[in-house]
Amino acid sequence: MTLAEASSVAAAPAVPPEDAAPPRRKSWFRRLLRDKAAVVAMSVLGIIILGAIFAPLLATHDPYVNSRSVMTPPVWQAGGEAEHLLGTDGQGRDIFSRILYGSRLTLLIGLISVGVGGFIGSMIGLLSAFYTRLDAWLMRLMDMMLSFPAILLGLALVAVMGQGAVPVIIALAISSIPDCARISRGIAVGVMKMEFIEAGRAVGLSDRDLFRKYLLRNCISSIMIFISLRFGQVILIGAALSFLGLGARPPMAELGMMASQGRDYLLFAPHIAVIPSVVIFIIVLCANVAGDALRDVLDPRLQA
Amino acid sequence: MTKRTLGLGAALAVSLPALATAQTVTIVRELDSNKYDPPAITALAGSEALFMMGDTLVALNDDMQTIEPLLAESWEVSEDGKTYTFKIKEGVTFCDGKPMTAEDIAYSINRWVSPELKSGVAWRAGDIKEVVALDDYTLKYELNAPYSELLYQLAQSFGTVVDKDNVEALGEDFGISGFNGTGPFCWESWEPRNQLTMTKHEGYNWGPPMYGEGAEAKVDKVVWKVVPEAATRTVALLTGQADVSYYVPFIGMEKMRQAPNIEVVRSDAAFWTNFIGFKVDKPGMNDPAVRKAINLAVNREAMAEDLFFGEVDPAYTYVSAGALDYNPAVEEFVFKYDPEQAKQILEEAGWTLNGDGVREKDGVVLEPTIYSFIGEWAKTSEVVQADLLKVGINLQIQAFDPTVIWGKLATQEFDIFTMGFPYVSTGDALNLYFRSANIPSPNRMNWNDPETDELLKTAAAATTDEARAEAYGKVLMKVQEAVTWLPIYERPMQIAYVSKLAPITPHNIYGAGLYKGLQLEFVD
Repeated sequence: MTLAEASSVAAAPAVPPEDAAPPRRKSWFRRLLRDKAAVVAMSVLGIIILGAIFAPLLATHDPYVNSRSVMTPPVWQAGGEAEHLLGTDGQGRDIFSRILYGSRLTLLIGLISVGVGGFIGSMIGLLSAFYTRLDAWLMRLMDMMLSFPAILLGLALVAVMGQGAVPVIIALAISSIPDCARISRGIAVGVMKMEFIEAGRAVGLSDRDLFRKYLLRNCISSIMIFISLRFGQVILIGAALSFLGLGARPPMAELGMMASQGRDYLLFAPHIAVIPSVVIFIIVLCANVAGDALRDVLDPRLQA
Repeated sequence: MTKRTLGLGAALAVSLPALATAQTVTIVRELDSNKYDPPAITALAGSEALFMMGDTLVALNDDMQTIEPLLAESWEVSEDGKTYTFKIKEGVTFCDGKPMTAEDIAYSINRWVSPELKSGVAWRAGDIKEVVALDDYTLKYELNAPYSELLYQLAQSFGTVVDKDNVEALGEDFGISGFNGTGPFCWESWEPRNQLTMTKHEGYNWGPPMYGEGAEAKVDKVVWKVVPEAATRTVALLTGQADVSYYVPFIGMEKMRQAPNIEVVRSDAAFWTNFIGFKVDKPGMNDPAVRKAINLAVNREAMAEDLFFGEVDPAYTYVSAGALDYNPAVEEFVFKYDPEQAKQILEEAGWTLNGDGVREKDGVVLEPTIYSFIGEWAKTSEVVQADLLKVGINLQIQAFDPTVIWGKLATQEFDIFTMGFPYVSTGDALNLYFRSANIPSPNRMNWNDPETDELLKTAAAATTDEARAEAYGKVLMKVQEAVTWLPIYERPMQIAYVSKLAPITPHNIYGAGLYKGLQLEFVD
């Protein structure tokens, strides 16, 4: 008994991630750079994010002011004007400027909801793996939440709170919780079975330290990968909600809403709907490719 | 993307049953009705189908002024204007073959105004003392007070003659699972929100004289197909999946005119006004200066050109200048685009710009909430919002789906609302919207003015055209002077139809462009 304890204690210091992390962090970044698709995806995403952040500086027009030149095609098409790079919409508003402001809101909705949902979800997942008595209760709760579609939740919230970005963020955050909880619990249950956890318990670490230093640090990279993949999905659902007229309130620009408004002009000025749709497509695609690449280099199970 | 949409349209065509047989006319429209029970339905989607499936006592000519015989062959009005005696046509039958008599008409009118039915349009039938059948072919329509508009109202779909046996047999399902009428077409089947199919009423020859003596339906079937998406309706006509529609979006009209296989007819006497109304007792909105400034700030010329592709004329008066009893004196209170004057009026009224560039007075910030329909109205609201922001009014838009907006519009939650409505005359429009008894809906302005009520009563009871026109003219003047609305445009009636159909004359009754459908005919 004493011997067995001693050996576990001896094994423990080697596993906790504090020591292992520094060399790994360096190499994963280098390996990420070797993945060409990931580099392209991340640079494109970076450009879009920068464009969104600096929208007020980059926008050539006020995105909310209408003008008399309506349905102007993009500059590369016949009839396009240099003044409006991507043309104007049905109300004469500059599409390029609206895209910048629109991606701002779209990305913000995605980031906040995936951040909040991911945080709450992963905490629930980790806690239910850590305190096994809570497990069944929490997971049944998550099952119930999983069976509730995000779009329906969004519709219900908008009916109560009125149209706006906030109910959409809440709906998306709530719908991200169960997925994230499920994934993180799966990982955490595996980690909890590792010897170093048992060793930590044996040397009398507090639950708090055990949770933070042993469990969380061993799960965090997998959770981050999941969240980065989830980001693309959330943006897509958010755009769908806005497309249904639930998201941003006019005159605010949001990519899904812009696509929806362009729908009526599809036969006559397709660019009004196509351009914001393409931007949504690029954001989601890049987020997914980048998330995949991150998983490839970060997931310890894939490194064997 | 254009190609893709067309492809989508073609795919839709394949999925439709082969409706393009020579004798079936397919009409595409935007919305369906929730049932087809004449007095219970006020939506155009209900009326347009009921005009074809049923008949009314009298008909309205397409000049929108002349009353023509329909089920009534002739009529007499008593000296005091209170008693109408209708002589009913003989030989009229319901779709199931049963003869129609004055008894059926009396039943239909009494059902329309019966308290149990709670019809929102019961007032349109006038203040009835008694409607009885004196014999099989004579109907007495007695009123408590003269009602100058009675015949116009009786031409509307609400008084469509129904079959008592049919109503009682179907109960709650009347107008849902069947409808036995006397119209040129008979109910065949209805798939809600998809299509309503009608078949020719064999032996129908009692149509109104404007369609020619003894006119009968000239096609075997009429299919009303619901296509909610505007672009798809355009494509449906262009690709020949549909034969006729007056629900083509403005953006598609030019393409329709250019298409070699499509004809377009237009009538400007449509008497359909789209307006934005103000709740005149809400903080901010209770200041006439604000309402006037809003009228001056919105560029309706530009809107008609850009948003509606020049297909409409901007409206500045509350009813069309061509409508019966219109008062030309209201043109004194017409507010055309002048943003500088709008700013000046607001300044003079004490509304000053705050730090956010929004006007404010005594703690009230000019941030009114507008309840808007989705679709075209949401776009209109956005343009109004952009124009108002330039003079320091920050409009808050809340757009709702057609299924919820009617409930929302009956509340007091909003300051401004959007609405479009068809009318037969000035009196029709004013009675609907400005009677204090109609608060909160359809009098959503909360226009509560005893003098208006009194004038409306006077007008309705007037026995001469002059007296009626004068009273209605005064009301029109009053509400327009008080700036209760922001009129947007007068919707023209535009019917697009495939060239293999015989020429169609647009009708404007309640916005139902095809009226009885007796002109629908294929030519080879």
